[in-house]
Amino acid sequence: MLALLGVAFCVQVTLQALQPRPNARAEALGAPPAPALLRPLSLGEPIATAQLLTLYLQAFDNQPGVSVPFLELDYARVIAWLTAILELDPIGQYPLLMASQIYSQVPDAAKQRRMCEFVRSEFERDPNRRWRWLAHCAIMAKHRLLDVRLALSYAEAIAQKARNASNWARQMRIFILEDLGELEAAKVLLGGLLESGEVSEPKEIHFLTERLKELETAGKTSVLPESRRGKP
Amino acid sequence: MRSEAFSVTAIRHGYCGMDSRIAAIARYTLLEALRTRLTALVLITLLVVLAASFFVETISITEGARFQAGFYAAGMRIASVFIMAVTVLVSITREFNDKGLDVLLALDLPRSHYVLGKLAGFLALAVLIAAAAALPLAWLAPAPAALQWSISLAAELAIVVAFALFCVITLNQLTPAASFVLGFYVLSRALTAIRLMSAHPLSGADTYSHQAIQVMVDALALVVPALDRWTRTEWLVNQQAAWSDLLELTGLSALYVALLAAATMFDFYRKNF
Repeated sequence: MLALLGVAFCVQVTLQALQPRPNARAEALGAPPAPALLRPLSLGEPIATAQLLTLYLQAFDNQPGVSVPFLELDYARVIAWLTAILELDPIGQYPLLMASQIYSQVPDAAKQRRMCEFVRSEFERDPNRRWRWLAHCAIMAKHRLLDVRLALSYAEAIAQKARNASNWARQMRIFILEDLGELEAAKVLLGGLLESGEVSEPKEIHFLTERLKELETAGKTSVLPESRRGKP
Repeated sequence: MRSEAFSVTAIRHGYCGMDSRIAAIARYTLLEALRTRLTALVLITLLVVLAASFFVETISITEGARFQAGFYAAGMRIASVFIMAVTVLVSITREFNDKGLDVLLALDLPRSHYVLGKLAGFLALAVLIAAAAALPLAWLAPAPAALQWSISLAAELAIVVAFALFCVITLNQLTPAASFVLGFYVLSRALTAIRLMSAHPLSGADTYSHQAIQVMVDALALVVPALDRWTRTEWLVNQQAAWSDLLELTGLSALYVALLAAATMFDFYRKNF
């Protein structure tokens, strides 16, 4: 019996050792399941399902052994994922943070604009809870897309629709019209968010502060670290 | 030692009245569960799910506490249901196989007392597991919300216990009983979504086949509880439930447990051993 065990173990190890090593490859982001299907699949746990989908999407750019630049992602699919997550958990803010702070940071104006449009459309569904993501997009529209009219339209949307937003946020139009640089505008926004208590999560404060530092060091070329930048 | 051996001794010595026979069976059912390393299993499960929730909290950029509470609650809910259902199924199957049940039924013990005693023991166990599962939530979420979640989990586990008991006594075999319990639980968790899909199809709403399916789904909803209304994560991370809603869920659970207990007793009485 012991001999049989030894032989079986050796054969198992040998066969496994002969197997080819797995190759890392950037797999395309698949389409998310339809929201109508996600509901029954979530078995009455839409929030937990949304959180798992969020972490899956967040981790997608770091597949085992390979880092996929955000620029290479299919943004239509990314938006489909973010929409599905928000449908499952409309109170959650995470997908909007990803849209306005992560996926919109690629050096591709079309993709930046697309993410801003997504944030704008989701803002309409719940302005009082989602205005701060549109505020980030307003700054981006002015300084990255160089589209002051778009930035002003976002600022006006916040002023008109987000009744619960802080006063400074509702007067954002003023500092968009002022001759502030992107870094200064981002500092004003973060300072306002911190002062009003809109952002209290330590990790989010750290994340946003790091972004400011990156902005300071990298200038306006890109705020993403080298590893995350898309290929031109 | 096995619960039936204890129960037989307690009942044979005659120091039990009618009601205390049920209490004796319940007590030894609970003892059996506690002495078969169930406590350790629940504790290990709780620690593993809690550790996983800390990991989730670590990798999230924002809403870390929300993610942690949500992940822990959803994970612990499904783990508790699994542990409780398997405990009931295995415990009763073992009594069938060991013939301890035959010895018990040879005594002056009505079959209904056996079912009620077993049910009471497992229900007590469900309450203990729900309370243990909710302990970390006292730190991860507001205390009243954690309390509501715990009460609701106990009610949900009570339904699972009663259904598992019904299945294993009716079917006698572990595998078919476990399959039925799994099917029932998945169906009851997805029932609301299935009803919504059935009521609002994208096409073919006027076909006979669709109408027949819709009638079938609606009929199913009359006899299967929509467990997605129980133990909701949103109470912990968004807004706590109204106490009146919780009272309603508890009442519905009690009613369903009574219905399943009656069905189990009915089936148990018609069996020949």
